Amino acid sequence: MEQDAQLVQQCLQGDGSAWEELVRRHTRRIFGICYRFTGNRTEAEDLAQDVFLRVYRTLGSYRSAHGGFATWVTSVTRNLLIDHYRRTKRDRVTDSLDDKMAVVENKESAGRRPDEQALLGELSGQLQNALTRLSPELREAVILRDLQQLEYAEIQTVLAVPEGTVKSRINRGRIELARILQQMGVRPA
Amino acid sequence: MTWTCDQVEARLSDYLDGLLTGPERAEFEAHADSCPQCVPLLASVRSLVGEMHAMEEVEVPPRLVYAILDKTLGPRETVTGWQAFLQMIRGMASPKFAYGAASILATFVILASSLGFSVKNPKIADLRPANVYRNAVREVHLVGARGEKYVSDLRVVYEIQSRLRQDDNNLQTTPEEVLPKSMPEKTPGQTDDRKPNQPRQQNRADQISHQLELLAAELPLAGGRSIR
Repeated sequence: MEQDAQLVQQCLQGDGSAWEELVRRHTRRIFGICYRFTGNRTEAEDLAQDVFLRVYRTLGSYRSAHGGFATWVTSVTRNLLIDHYRRTKRDRVTDSLDDKMAVVENKESAGRRPDEQALLGELSGQLQNALTRLSPELREAVILRDLQQLEYAEIQTVLAVPEGTVKSRINRGRIELARILQQMGVRPA
Repeated sequence: MTWTCDQVEARLSDYLDGLLTGPERAEFEAHADSCPQCVPLLASVRSLVGEMHAMEEVEVPPRLVYAILDKTLGPRETVTGWQAFLQMIRGMASPKFAYGAASILATFVILASSLGFSVKNPKIADLRPANVYRNAVREVHLVGARGEKYVSDLRVVYEIQSRLRQDDNNLQTTPEEVLPKSMPEKTPGQTDDRKPNQPRQQNRADQISHQLELLAAELPLAGGRSIR
């Protein structure tokens, strides 16, 4: 039995240490997805906590026959991210690449503190900035494939769309991301 | 059939992920390697994918795990008294901790013994700083004296061995003394100032006694006196 599935069983029997182990094993990955999607560390922290809270409350609904625990948690994460995006959509300046927008200086990237920018590194920061300018459908596909290194089949499960749609979104996401970086005046190495 | 730019763009990720094979791959490359629009597009997307794959993982906020556990399991209760003590003991019940604790305990026992603190007959007075200092100084002197004695004994043994070796060499190489012909025959009762000839065995005995005198001179403590 997969180790995560074993820990889930122990959690369901009331073992708090098993839950703690699950949290420790998956926090880095879930926080990474949340941060790459939102581009904001504070929002990513809050969303990561919400993810685990939802996972904790719905743990009884997890079925190992439907896929690995990691895939299930990633699905929950993705759903929360989309819900968050829709709730905060009206507060954002831009929505997708179709909107006409000026090239924003790297230091003025929305929601990121200057110290975060320095920590990320120049190209990495510009890449993160460009990611947040993609539409959410393309953004999540690129994050799951190129930043989380998930296989196509796993992404298909997470996004609940056909594999052809997954490949199409990844392809369009990469191309649009390259064009955004070109507009920003960034040349990847 | 030659592919168009749209076709190349639609299959670009498949090509980069190695999913295009055979004729499809050949058609793709035939266009992508020569089209002035597709060449830079392919290069930039290929470079971008490489950059994303090489990006480092995001640093997790240090308290995030605890915040998640507080939100899900609830704030951890602070226990006091015997419960806190038992919880601490339970936390120590790991082999790694046990080995570490045993090593530290052994180190303390050795240090305490060397500083004069008796494990079998402990006294509070032994823990006084003045007593600890005095015991430490005493132990240093004892160790120094023992070391000095050891080196001295080794030197003596070496001296004896080297002299015995030398003595053996002398006995083998020195020819037997021959009486000079001019010497008058000795008769009983006759005395003179000359030293009588010494036989070979007497020479050997004298040399051994000489060695023993040297040995006695080198071993002032050979009488069994103890330093302590």
